[in-house]
Amino acid sequence: MKITPIIGLEVHVELKTKSKMFCGCDAEHFHTEPNTHTCPVCLGLPGALPVPNKKACEWCIKLGLALGCTINEETFFERKNYFYPDLAKSYQISQLQKPFCINGKLEDVRINRVHQEEDTGKSVHVNGETLLDFNRSGVPLVEIVSEPDIKSPEDAKTYLLKIQQIVRYLGISDADIEKGSMRCEPTINLCIDDEFYTPLVEIKNVASLTGVMTAIQYEIDRQAEQYSQDKITKNSTNKTTRGWDADKQQTFLQREKEGSADYRYFPEPDIPPIIFSKEQVEAIRATLPEMPEAKIAKYKTLGLSDYDSNLLSEDSYFSSIFDKIITDSDSVYAKFVANLLIGPLKTIEITIDKINPEYFKNLFDNKDQLSSSAIKQLVLESYDKQVDPLILAKQQNLFQVSDTNKLEEIAKDVIANNPKAVADYQKNPMSIGFLVGQVMKSSGGSANPQVAKEVLEKLLVLN
Amino acid sequence: MLLDKSISELSAGLRSGEFTSVDLVNECYDNIEKYNSLTNAFITIVTREEALKKAQDVKLTSPLSGLPFALKDCFATTGVRTTAASKVLENFIPPYSATIYKKLLDAGAILIGKANMDAWGHGGSSENTDFGPVKNPWDITRVAGGSGGGPAVAVATRMAVFAIGEDTGGSIRNPAGWTNTTGLKVTYGRVSRYGAIAYASSFDTVGPVAKSVEDCAIVLETIAGVDKYDATSSPVSVPAYSSLLNLDLSNVTIGIPKEFYGDGLDPEIKEAVLKVSTDLQTAGATIKEISMPLFDLCLPVYYLIAPSETSSNLARYDGVRYGTGRDNFTDETIRRILIGTYALSAGYYDAYYKKAQQVRTLFIEEYKKALSQCDVLLQPIMPNIPPKFGELLSDPLQNLLADIYTVSQNPVGVPSLAIPCGFTKNNLPIGAQIVGKMFSEELLLALGHQYQKLTDYHTQKPQL
Repeated sequence: MKITPIIGLEVHVELKTKSKMFCGCDAEHFHTEPNTHTCPVCLGLPGALPVPNKKACEWCIKLGLALGCTINEETFFERKNYFYPDLAKSYQISQLQKPFCINGKLEDVRINRVHQEEDTGKSVHVNGETLLDFNRSGVPLVEIVSEPDIKSPEDAKTYLLKIQQIVRYLGISDADIEKGSMRCEPTINLCIDDEFYTPLVEIKNVASLTGVMTAIQYEIDRQAEQYSQDKITKNSTNKTTRGWDADKQQTFLQREKEGSADYRYFPEPDIPPIIFSKEQVEAIRATLPEMPEAKIAKYKTLGLSDYDSNLLSEDSYFSSIFDKIITDSDSVYAKFVANLLIGPLKTIEITIDKINPEYFKNLFDNKDQLSSSAIKQLVLESYDKQVDPLILAKQQNLFQVSDTNKLEEIAKDVIANNPKAVADYQKNPMSIGFLVGQVMKSSGGSANPQVAKEVLEKLLVLN
Repeated sequence: MLLDKSISELSAGLRSGEFTSVDLVNECYDNIEKYNSLTNAFITIVTREEALKKAQDVKLTSPLSGLPFALKDCFATTGVRTTAASKVLENFIPPYSATIYKKLLDAGAILIGKANMDAWGHGGSSENTDFGPVKNPWDITRVAGGSGGGPAVAVATRMAVFAIGEDTGGSIRNPAGWTNTTGLKVTYGRVSRYGAIAYASSFDTVGPVAKSVEDCAIVLETIAGVDKYDATSSPVSVPAYSSLLNLDLSNVTIGIPKEFYGDGLDPEIKEAVLKVSTDLQTAGATIKEISMPLFDLCLPVYYLIAPSETSSNLARYDGVRYGTGRDNFTDETIRRILIGTYALSAGYYDAYYKKAQQVRTLFIEEYKKALSQCDVLLQPIMPNIPPKFGELLSDPLQNLLADIYTVSQNPVGVPSLAIPCGFTKNNLPIGAQIVGKMFSEELLLALGHQYQKLTDYHTQKPQL
């Protein structure tokens, strides 16, 4: 039996705007005293009305643009009606017919839509009681819906990490899966022998990246097993929702899926249609930062390896530090700086304002007179003390002696005083290390070991 | 009686020291004691002591300062119980205030009570209330109209100087017509809806009920305007309506849409409403018969969209947060929730809700066309005289049909002014409505004011 998994992902990202989607309440809800960030609007009190958050709408469009979407010039909100205790109005304001963004693409995965909605409150179950916290009620949420173009749990992970990276590049959300500011609901079925399709299953309550992968794999195996038993194929009514039990590492049937029209969607009468003109959309596009793909390409052109380019682009802040230091296209210099950033500077927390490109240039220009360990030490110390590394090198006597005349004198002494080591060298040239070490010692560590070696080799051949 | 005076007379009297706000408040409460048990106009009455305290402290900063008023019980009032006339909100004391309530308090007006209504605005007779029906002060065996029966009766019986109502399909105009008061359904977006408990969000409008057009103009000036808490409120600037009431009638063409005067309209009412046009014609206005052939479709459009929205608006009263559950909804409200839920459901949306919205668009065109041939439209408000209790309630379909003249304006958004225009031979009030273009309140009020200068119907009051 040939099995091809067909996976689509619905990703929810909570925007980190100051205020909520439809009211002025503080949108922060993580570790806040329950029901302190609430007002008549997000509590759904009788008579309260929603007023959309402009910033959130702009950010939704920004994300859509970053994902290559077409932006709908005229859009409107709709009500998605369903009952749940933590859904204050008994409907969620969302978008169905006219989302802000449609038809995007992220590498090989087509994006169906990116739309704006609001988060629900939170039900907290304590000692058999359910408590409601509405701090999260009305927090802006963006939903990114992919087409079912994902073929494996690994692809799903790659896709999610990409989304996370883009969202973070845009600075519109923490996109932290563990904290719930990024959530993922996979929909899965299988194509069997290129001919039959198993019923669709949507998985809910997955709270980690590994969870997403394990849940998808579990569901692939389960559906394959199920199909081999009952041969039931997909139809318009047998889509189901299954929950993910992280303890048991398995999915379980939650409910037979309601078709989308059963949410009785209809245009939200409390909010007039929203219009973003072409000019406004272009103005938002102009605020897009350089995206990871573009950064990687740029770094490769600079002569950096794939590995270095990816590592530097992983995080937009980190790469902006690199971009601040690199001002020309000298690939040797780029490599030098990349090594320092990925190396010693990766071990500490860096603030971009404290980065002085001149210090890096100075280090680079004098790298031949400094040992690699001295360079590592100097880059950290000059950042820490905000002092030119050349001044530090001088103070600490870290410059290496590369003057051959001076080194020749020392080497001659070393050769004269170590006849046994010289004899060893004559038999085995690999043993020169001892003599180099002696030169280093006599120079008080300031000799450039490479130059010392070359001088010794020259003198010993002359002997 | 002081409360027979107009707002500008009262305002002047307060300033000249002829009488005080305390006198006005006391007179209101004396009338409440006399008439409220007969009419049941109020659900919640602020204590006399509390209102008097405000009257003693009042500063005369606006024409409404020191004037006692009533709010339909659908407006959120901080600390004052707000029920929408439903048991579901029997114990709800809002922690916030509706924008119009804030504006009135800022103007120095004094709230004396929350007026009775059809629960959630669902009805045209103020019988669909969990707090007992409102009785018509002109004949207490008859209904006062609805849904805002309470506010209209409070004004008609001088239990308040003015009141604020809410009109979704006639809820201000219908009771105004049946109680001989003046009421204005404003252009959608003219007055903030923030804090008005929603019936049908895209139809709901907030407006004044008063003894005269001039009074309505003064109140409207105070409550109108854009509100950052209501995304559907309009930024169109607010004219000083009360100082723009002069009008040369020879510049006005009044359209008579013949479909509004067909079968089913009580001949006595028809005669009285058409008399408005001849009176205005005598005073210089031009009269023009026009046609609005889509007229018949207004009821189905209204009774698909309004229930659809209400089914969603009322879903939040789920028993989790307000203590009382959905089993407390009345039959009429349950009927509207069910119709709306049905119209929005899978497989029916296109045939009902969507179709209704399409026809609504046609209606907008229909009104535009009609109002391009004239300045205003003169229409009856109710097809019949106020019925006896139970007559409408026992026949839900008849109940809906009674709204035929008042439901076509809300889906369109146009304003409509309800004015008294006569009495039946049994001395029951008759009202007419003047409908204008979007944001034409200035013209409607000026025309209504001119009419009230020619007539004295609006000065008549019931003898209880």
